[in-house]
Amino acid sequence: MTVATEEEKQPEKTLAEKETLAKKVALFYRVFSGSVLFGRKGTILWDSWEMWIMQIFITPPAEMAFFFLLAIAVYHDLTQAQFTVIGNAVQSMSFAAVFAVANITSQDKWQGTLQTLIVTPANRMALFIGRAMFQIFMSALITAAAFIYADFVFGINFAHANYLALGIAIVLTSVMMISFGLLISSIGLFMRTAMIVANIFLFLTMLVSGVNFPVQALPLWLQPVGWAIPMTYGVLAARGAIMGASVLSLGTILLKELIDGITVLFVGYFLMKGFERLARKSGRLEEY
Amino acid sequence: MVLSAKNFVADPQFVIPCIIAPFIFTMVSLFFIVSSSSNNVGASALLAAVLGGGLMGVWGTTVYGSANSIGFDRWNGTMEATLAAPSPLIWIVLGRVLWNTFIGVINGFIVLGIGMTWFRVGVGLLNPGLFVLATILTYVSMSSFGLMLSTVYVLSRKGGFIENSMEIPVYIATGTSFAVALLPFYALPISFIIGPTWGIEAIKRAAVGTAYAYGPLLPTGYWTDIAFMLVATLAYFALSFILFQRVETIAKKNGTIEEY
Repeated sequence: MTVATEEEKQPEKTLAEKETLAKKVALFYRVFSGSVLFGRKGTILWDSWEMWIMQIFITPPAEMAFFFLLAIAVYHDLTQAQFTVIGNAVQSMSFAAVFAVANITSQDKWQGTLQTLIVTPANRMALFIGRAMFQIFMSALITAAAFIYADFVFGINFAHANYLALGIAIVLTSVMMISFGLLISSIGLFMRTAMIVANIFLFLTMLVSGVNFPVQALPLWLQPVGWAIPMTYGVLAARGAIMGASVLSLGTILLKELIDGITVLFVGYFLMKGFERLARKSGRLEEY
Repeated sequence: MVLSAKNFVADPQFVIPCIIAPFIFTMVSLFFIVSSSSNNVGASALLAAVLGGGLMGVWGTTVYGSANSIGFDRWNGTMEATLAAPSPLIWIVLGRVLWNTFIGVINGFIVLGIGMTWFRVGVGLLNPGLFVLATILTYVSMSSFGLMLSTVYVLSRKGGFIENSMEIPVYIATGTSFAVALLPFYALPISFIIGPTWGIEAIKRAAVGTAYAYGPLLPTGYWTDIAFMLVATLAYFALSFILFQRVETIAKKNGTIEEY
């Protein structure tokens, strides 16, 4: 193995220093856009006709029906049941936004492409966010479909709904939940698979994010977990938008969601860097 | 069955995802019940919810584990060797299914333990003897259902689609957490042809004593439930034997065994 001397390293350093901001942005964009394209092509597990059918036509209405009927059985109250329908309509995006994204690194391990990705000098942030972009589209699509079920199957009244606010809430929550998925995905670098953690967080939002009952009904120690997940704010915003709240009046909730999502993204990014270092040290990159 | 047990001990992680959904669903049920205490929902409702969660756990591992018993063979490249073995495939799969369903029963006990400690659910069973009998028979019935399901995996690599799609609908259709009578009328026939629906009803009757599922739709009793379940279970086993012979031949003819 050849070790570079200080003299040999020097010119590289100077070259890096000379790299302008514009060049860095262009490079970031190139990696990002390539990653977006690969993100769809590489997700063979998720991008198949049966997964589309399952994610859009089966799981969302089934989940909504389960909690709708459960609420009817316990509360004997349609309003309470419809409360769960809206929550679960937003939550239905989890399969794409959390589960699929969380499994990106695990999928690379299965396909044997993780090592190749890790050795590239490409910007990690551009690489990993780019690969999750396809799932933003999927998440928003699934949630939109779920709201159609909410209207036609579960009788949610959209007469006063502010569709602009609802649309913004759906798209913002999709983007912010992707950051949450990426955070979990980072674990997959070090562990054999992120599947277990992904499964936990796929369903955990049903319990802690105000999907089926207000976060305040949780034990005090569990409430911070709910408020740390962007979906909690997304559910609140969606409920408000259906009742007619404007984008402006939902501003505080949406802003909180944005801040929370960005924080989660950066925590995920640093976790990913940390886990990458750990995995390299312990030689666990190829374990699956 | 022993091999499945060894595989589970060596790598238990794949079973864990199958029990998370039932666990979370039960927690939500319990929060619902606790928050609606003003509606006089009593200890029996809490116990029914915990039992429902346990049964969802058994379903979860049955649906996923049974279907995956063949799926893993495809994934690991051992499918050809399994099919080439002199033992009939159905006996190999049956052993795996029995083990997977057994893991689900353990999950049921975990849910019960959490319910007892967190929500102080009492375990005062109305008729423990009948409860144990119904539980064992439902376990067998679910296994027979899982066995039938696993034939799809022999034929196609798309079996995962079916297992993923079936999980929640099967919880709904079999009345694990609420009365089947709440379902739309057109969905009831599906519910009634699934053997474990009757078993779940019998378990709840033995545990909390009330005619829980069907309400005025079908005025059945414990033994009627058991009889309906046994008929369905026998039908599943018979169908599985026929299907396994057919699908094995078709898969060999089509050369799709190694596809994954």
